[in-house]
Amino acid sequence: MSEFILNVIHRPEMVPEYSATVTGHGKEEDIGDKKLLTESLDIFKTQQRLAHENGLKVTIHMTYASLFNDEAVQIAKDDHERYGDEIALSLLGLPCEQFREKYKTKDFCIWMFSMEDKKAIVDDVFGKFHERFGFYPESTGSYYMDAELTNYIKKKYPMVKCAIATCWEEGPKAYHTCNNSWYTLFDGGPWAPWIPSKQNTHAPAENEAEDSGIVAIPHLSRDLLACYDGNGSNFGTHPQNVLRGMIYDSKTWEFPYLYNLIDQYRAQEKYNNGYAYNMMFVGPGWMNKMGRWEAPYELLLKSYSEGCKYYGDLKKEGKLIDMTMSEFADYYRSKKSYTEPECALWRDILYGSDKQLFWYADPYMRAGVNMDQGGAIFDLRPYASKLKWEVGIGTKHVQDASYPFLIQEKYRAGYFTHYAGEGTIRSAKLCYQGEEVDLCLCRTKAHFSQKENTRILTLDPVEIEFYDLTVKLQTRIYFPEGEGTICIEREILEMSRPDAVVELNEYMVACYGTTEYPEDMEGIALRCEGSEPKEIIYHYQCREEILADASEVSAVIPAIETKVSMRASKGAEGYVREGYAFSPMFTLGYKKQVSRQEVFVTWLKLEKAD
Amino acid sequence: MAQAGKGRLNYRCPACFLRDLDIDMFYDKEKEEYYCLRCQYTGKEADVLKGNEMVRTKYGAMYQRFGKFDFD
Repeated sequence: MSEFILNVIHRPEMVPEYSATVTGHGKEEDIGDKKLLTESLDIFKTQQRLAHENGLKVTIHMTYASLFNDEAVQIAKDDHERYGDEIALSLLGLPCEQFREKYKTKDFCIWMFSMEDKKAIVDDVFGKFHERFGFYPESTGSYYMDAELTNYIKKKYPMVKCAIATCWEEGPKAYHTCNNSWYTLFDGGPWAPWIPSKQNTHAPAENEAEDSGIVAIPHLSRDLLACYDGNGSNFGTHPQNVLRGMIYDSKTWEFPYLYNLIDQYRAQEKYNNGYAYNMMFVGPGWMNKMGRWEAPYELLLKSYSEGCKYYGDLKKEGKLIDMTMSEFADYYRSKKSYTEPECALWRDILYGSDKQLFWYADPYMRAGVNMDQGGAIFDLRPYASKLKWEVGIGTKHVQDASYPFLIQEKYRAGYFTHYAGEGTIRSAKLCYQGEEVDLCLCRTKAHFSQKENTRILTLDPVEIEFYDLTVKLQTRIYFPEGEGTICIEREILEMSRPDAVVELNEYMVACYGTTEYPEDMEGIALRCEGSEPKEIIYHYQCREEILADASEVSAVIPAIETKVSMRASKGAEGYVREGYAFSPMFTLGYKKQVSRQEVFVTWLKLEKAD
Repeated sequence: MAQAGKGRLNYRCPACFLRDLDIDMFYDKEKEEYYCLRCQYTGKEADVLKGNEMVRTKYGAMYQRFGKFDFD
């Protein structure tokens, strides 16, 4: 039986984000402005009404500021009694007179405070919540919750079992969209609920020992194609995100994209043992009475009303189960094991391209596969390294909370580069009599299946045309659960000349980083293992080592404590390649001569390198 | 010349939006036009609205309702 779960979350934010730049433009800052407080509460009441009218229960995320407001507290108590809403505690919405006075700062993002301040603020906010409600919350959250923060909360307040812990792919892309003024740098996490490890929030726990004790949910359910290439805040299950992206008919105010997005998430149950998830979370700032950007208030209200109605109608039709966050945490733990991956086979529903991606996340990796590029891996995050990556004031990463990539085709190019060098991608090339064709240029589609604990992508065959030879090739990609490996099979189905032999070059161009800008590659160890092991210590010298029948080719990247390796079926030549200053990449690969009906298999593995 | 302010609605620069930048524009009352601080765009309200329609051309399937999400 398939189950589509929804969490709706509202927060009574007394000083909404954006209020200073929108409502307050041209006025001196007044964080205690009574008019602003009244309007914010009105918006919260409207949001609550719309959800309840459509039969949806809500998780109310009380903000610090709202804990000083008797009316907000009373509404939460009343709606808990009447509708079964959960009263939870947000670590967003800290700004208010009381906070400013106590902490003497305008910082408002919990993950960016010093650890000392994080603890003080958590104790303060949780204490205030207890004072107002007589119990501690079971759910909390922010745009990002670093592991150290979560570990502290869980230790001090063990009843907390669910948290909003990241915004999917809200990193440099969102930063740029906001004219380099929005410091939410946390790319690289899961897009759907997961159990974070104690070591790193993005990386799911592998076992009980690594379990942080909470179930994490993403802030909104994002478009898994559009968000990777654009501003995340335009493409989420937040009706006003869709307006921000101008994805509505300006004459009729219709926005079918939102419903396509919700429905595509519903369709993910096919790849996740009958389970799919959505989250809708809108702060009051997005329903400003003065309008939001070019959208007037009437349109903002319409979008939220109709968004709630769509979910409500699905519930009435028995196609949706609404839960509070704490209810969901219990559900998730009963439904999922630590090693069960999250899978998403995703198509373009906005641009009309028919592009198709596959996303995979488990405790060892997050990987993205692009069927429009022949099944190339265009994003790879080594969760196996469970990188300790403290963030906030006093750490090495004050703002940058992203999980590092090995492959990121937007920040480090992919198949296409300008003039020289290479971009990060895991693909294959076919070579024949001086001609070379990369599978990145073969557009195809994939079909998902599962055999025992292995998730399989079977791609439609593609044709590669050389001057006097046509090769028909099929790719199958296997993700065995709990192994941290990706197995890629290429089968030569047909050749126009049955006796022809072509060279198949399976390769991975990679580096590491969290942004568009290169990192220091010095010291990365590239190795070919086998009868005569070879090694290159990275020094931008453009060197290459080759080894026949190599048992393994690998790279150890000390800066991110990661080892990535490839193995291949017998009879292949392994190689490693160092890059140079204009192309700060490394390449691992295997070459093999293949003929008709032959299958060449390679395995990519991710491990922690201490 | 008096300082610029916000217009009736909080229009963003359509030229910047096309390159994935959300930039509020400001309104010059004397010239009755919006202008962008980041780039060189200027336009009357009607021009801005026309520009916003241009933005939407990148969303080729914006008006389409999908009933199938795989290619099986």
